[in-house]
Amino acid sequence: MLERMTYSVEETEQFGRMLAERLRPGDLLVLSGDLGAGKTALVRGLAAGLGLEDEVSSPTFVIMNEYRGRGPVRLCHFDFYRLRDEDDLYSTGYYDLLGTDAILAVEWGERIPEALPKAAIWVRMKRVDAQTRRITVEGDERF
Amino acid sequence: MKMLAVDASGRSASAAILADGVLLGESFLGAGYTHSETLLPMIDWLLTHTRTPIQAVDRFAVTVGPGSFTGLRIGIATVKGLAFPRGVPCVPVSTLEAAAMNLVDTDGLVCAALDARREQVYTALFEIEGGRLTRRSADSPLSIDALGDQLACWSDRTIRLVGDGAVLVYEALGARMPGLRLSSDALRLPRASSVAAAALCHPDEAVPGDRLMPRYLRLSQAERERALHNR
Repeated sequence: MLERMTYSVEETEQFGRMLAERLRPGDLLVLSGDLGAGKTALVRGLAAGLGLEDEVSSPTFVIMNEYRGRGPVRLCHFDFYRLRDEDDLYSTGYYDLLGTDAILAVEWGERIPEALPKAAIWVRMKRVDAQTRRITVEGDERF
Repeated sequence: MKMLAVDASGRSASAAILADGVLLGESFLGAGYTHSETLLPMIDWLLTHTRTPIQAVDRFAVTVGPGSFTGLRIGIATVKGLAFPRGVPCVPVSTLEAAAMNLVDTDGLVCAALDARREQVYTALFEIEGGRLTRRSADSPLSIDALGDQLACWSDRTIRLVGDGAVLVYEALGARMPGLRLSSDALRLPRASSVAAAALCHPDEAVPGDRLMPRYLRLSQAERERALHNR
């Protein structure tokens, strides 16, 4: 398990860049943490670390954002917050992305736990104070 | 009659053109790329190389489900768009029937199964005899265990499996059902030529493009709650 304290939004982003180096095509990350914990900042770091130029924004409203760059790598950023059940999720195309080379980052994944693969990488973000976050990453031997 | 058949219901996508039931050309991609980027170029290539102007196509056929949400919408929307200007009739085809049709040359039972995730499949049973496909059960979502119970009454027969859930079913049920056979890789997934073959068997089901609808076959929320309640 990986554990890290970050002391600013920039450091959280930087942690995302570092995490990106360890990712492989087809990985799925579950980002768990309250509003303002820095989930979107971490994804901004992931996208930058993967060499994707598209602008990262919260997918709460649109459910899924896809970020691409010049290469074949793509990052699909989901937010399950507004989804009720697996049928809602089916109609987002989520299941069509599982098992492909796309890297998935899922906010509020714990709302539909049955939809998450066993090999999911869990990134938990805890707010310690206004600037400080404790981030833990749990997954296979890479973390 | 010139028919253009399309399948984009799963990981693979294909298109085929037939003239009076004879296959003029077929294109199949199983590389897992986005159908929204490959399907129309595939159709364009087929029209060009079979020297078929799109205006000559007087029937469309398309798999309408079950299958991938995105894939079904890409296939159906493409056909709707191509059929719209001249109001060409379209035949909706079950993805399961199209997959079973791959094996139409050999008599016997065929179970088509598509992976619906979490040990569930979309499935239907067919019987083939003398080159004719007869349906033995309706397309339905079932747990693999429930499918095992349903197939148990055919345990004295050979049952061939097709569809992207075939391996899943074979691995789960093969040990207790010695009659199960996995079809070969090339015949396992639906192909547009088989979609056309299925459409030719029920021409009376043709509808105007705007009435073409996906049949996702998901259980409704109410049905799932009842299933949970009855467990």
